[in-house]
Amino acid sequence: MGLFSYNIEKYSPKQLVIIPLVLLAIALVVLAYVTVTVGMPVKPGIDFSGGTAITVITPDSSDQLRAVFADYPLVSISEGVNNGKFLTFSAMDDTKYQGLTKLVSEKYPDARIDQIGEAFGKTLQDQALLAMILAFIGMAIVVFISFRTFVPSVAVVLSAFADMVMTAAMMNVVGIPLTLGTTAALLMLIGYSVDSDILLTTRVLKRQGKLNEKLSGAFHTGIIMTSTTLAAVVVLLIVSWIGQVQVVEEISAVLLIGLIFDIMNTWLTNVGILKWYVTKGGGK
Amino acid sequence: MVCHKGRREMKHDKVKALATDWRVLTLAILLILSVVAIYPHFDDNGNLTTNLQYGLDLQQGAWLQLEFQSEVVGYSTTQPVDTFVTNLSKSLDADVEVVDANHLEIRKYYTQAQLEPYFAASGGKIVSYQQGVSKDTAADVKTILENKINSMGTKDAKVNVLTGVNGVARYVRVEMAGVDMNEAQQIVGKQGKFEIRIQTAGNQTEHVLYGDSITSVQTPNKDTRGDWGVSFTLSPAGAETFRQAAIKYGATTDPNNHQLAMILDNKTVYSAPLSTDLASSLQSTATHSMTASTGTGTYGMQQATDLEIHLRAGALPVDVKIAGSGSTSASLGAHYMTMCMIAFILALITVGFVIYYRYREPRIVLPMVLINASEIVILLGFISAIKFQMDLPTIAGLIAVVGTGIDQLVVITDEILHEGIVPSPNVYLKRLGRALTIIMIAAATVIIAMLPLALMDLSTLKGFAIITIMGVIVGVVVTRPAYGKIIMDILSE
Repeated sequence: MGLFSYNIEKYSPKQLVIIPLVLLAIALVVLAYVTVTVGMPVKPGIDFSGGTAITVITPDSSDQLRAVFADYPLVSISEGVNNGKFLTFSAMDDTKYQGLTKLVSEKYPDARIDQIGEAFGKTLQDQALLAMILAFIGMAIVVFISFRTFVPSVAVVLSAFADMVMTAAMMNVVGIPLTLGTTAALLMLIGYSVDSDILLTTRVLKRQGKLNEKLSGAFHTGIIMTSTTLAAVVVLLIVSWIGQVQVVEEISAVLLIGLIFDIMNTWLTNVGILKWYVTKGGGK
Repeated sequence: MVCHKGRREMKHDKVKALATDWRVLTLAILLILSVVAIYPHFDDNGNLTTNLQYGLDLQQGAWLQLEFQSEVVGYSTTQPVDTFVTNLSKSLDADVEVVDANHLEIRKYYTQAQLEPYFAASGGKIVSYQQGVSKDTAADVKTILENKINSMGTKDAKVNVLTGVNGVARYVRVEMAGVDMNEAQQIVGKQGKFEIRIQTAGNQTEHVLYGDSITSVQTPNKDTRGDWGVSFTLSPAGAETFRQAAIKYGATTDPNNHQLAMILDNKTVYSAPLSTDLASSLQSTATHSMTASTGTGTYGMQQATDLEIHLRAGALPVDVKIAGSGSTSASLGAHYMTMCMIAFILALITVGFVIYYRYREPRIVLPMVLINASEIVILLGFISAIKFQMDLPTIAGLIAVVGTGIDQLVVITDEILHEGIVPSPNVYLKRLGRALTIIMIAAATVIIAMLPLALMDLSTLKGFAIITIMGVIVGVVVTRPAYGKIIMDILSE
């Protein structure tokens, strides 16, 4: 593909993995810090914390909206380009909520309302966490069964782990909340990140030839795989941002971040470990 | 000329061979079936519609999350279980059901602290406490709610029980298309109290049964005389109570002055005398199964439909409270739909461009994009066939399928074109096999990663997970092998 040249011959495995490892450490620190302050590794959206979200397409400015909802616990207003507004409220009692829905149906009859009780949010949180852990363990098992060699399998699992951790940390940095949608996106990342790792590992372990040639061949294929997905995700992000489709916007933003980290983790972290493994005499 | 003709014949043979290849054939058959399932057609207004159903994100609708006002308590007791449960039920003034040897379901909301003294007084101890209902009760509630909503004439409603890790269900989620928040709350938010009474004299009535004695309710049917009615059955104890009350208050001897009244939430929803044959048979023996007639014609049918819901309303075993809710307006739903279509088409085109940039060969790019699109068609066919309601996360899942699908077609193409030479058929098959191995492993990880979500009832994400898994399976089993075959024939030309 000409655009990238991938020549890692001159770098030692240590040099390859140092940048991702430092980033991974920073990401873990971010997640730990957020966990201590918020109680979850990523700041939860209303799906998990409880609260109310209102989506409305209106020419009213944020200040006007703030005035309209002055009596209610408004947390944030985000704006799209087409007059789309997304408002979130913290949890409130039933009477207050009924007042809010009444106000919304009078002022903005075309709005969309989502409300989650705090206790229900907690249940969703527990289940989402469990789903994520089970998914990760399941993925690791499949990888170990498929390759049946320890170091390469660990490399794949570690890369996928780094993808998720770095993406989650980045969500905190850019302010994407953890919701049902973004949980799904993180799970999707497991699948995406493992894709290119498996291609790489299979090419290196099961093909004949020089290591560096196999690596650049795998890169040639792998990078196009990731860039097609990236292209689809970028389109999705732009359209959902313009159209203020909040759920899809969050999902595609998380995927975008994750895919970028995946490029690094596959072609630096995973390659670094594989290179070390092969030069130490493992593989063919 | 001759040469040209020969080539053409060869090409013709090839197309024929390709069309009869089982991989390509499977793909073609599935595509046709999918189009039939999606069934694109023009409706009465001349608008293009399909069989696809949309969730509440993409059309007007409302959802409610109901919390069971009940708890499952792990316990131990030194008393015989029967005595213990009876005592507890009496002192708590609540239905207490035995779930298994160590667990009770208390059908009224109490905190653990509130329960403890009652357990102590009855000679027991609380071992564990969890708000919610047992699996069986949850399944009952689901069935009742589904019937109640569907017979209300609303479009397909989804009722999902959200079961916790320990098998206790605390929430049930109801999604209804085409209704607003208010209607939705009216339909499911309230639980009726159903009672059967018998008229004693004038306006006086006496209690006979509550809704819990009704064990099953049939859908309305029409008898040979054109009378609509609803059949229902009583529990054995209920049937005996009913017989004794009918005899005691004179309904068997003088049915017209001792009518039967069905009351829902203190409102009489049905009142009629016993039929003469039922009256006479009740003299001698209890009847489990009976039919409440509601009259002829559309009026009778409507009455029967309502009565059916009322009878079922009485059977909802546990109180519920709204824990979460949401609604989408028609215009916003339509807006989301448009945006999704645009995103989808643009994504497909962009992916096509990236692929073209890489291979610069329309003979490769075109089949790739077409195979990718066919994967989507098959998935949409599947979604239509199972009457799944598409929502925003599902569409995100579909777009994810476009992404992974193309990825894996790239793997196949690159594996086959290794070192830039088109291989002989033998080598080709070996390489295709190797590519498919990579794809299989990748597919297995995606399926495993999505499986917990698909099994877990995590409300809206369940659909997303199922669609992603289906997409991966369709890809691995059908479209990618077919692509391998097609691309071989194209390249070896």
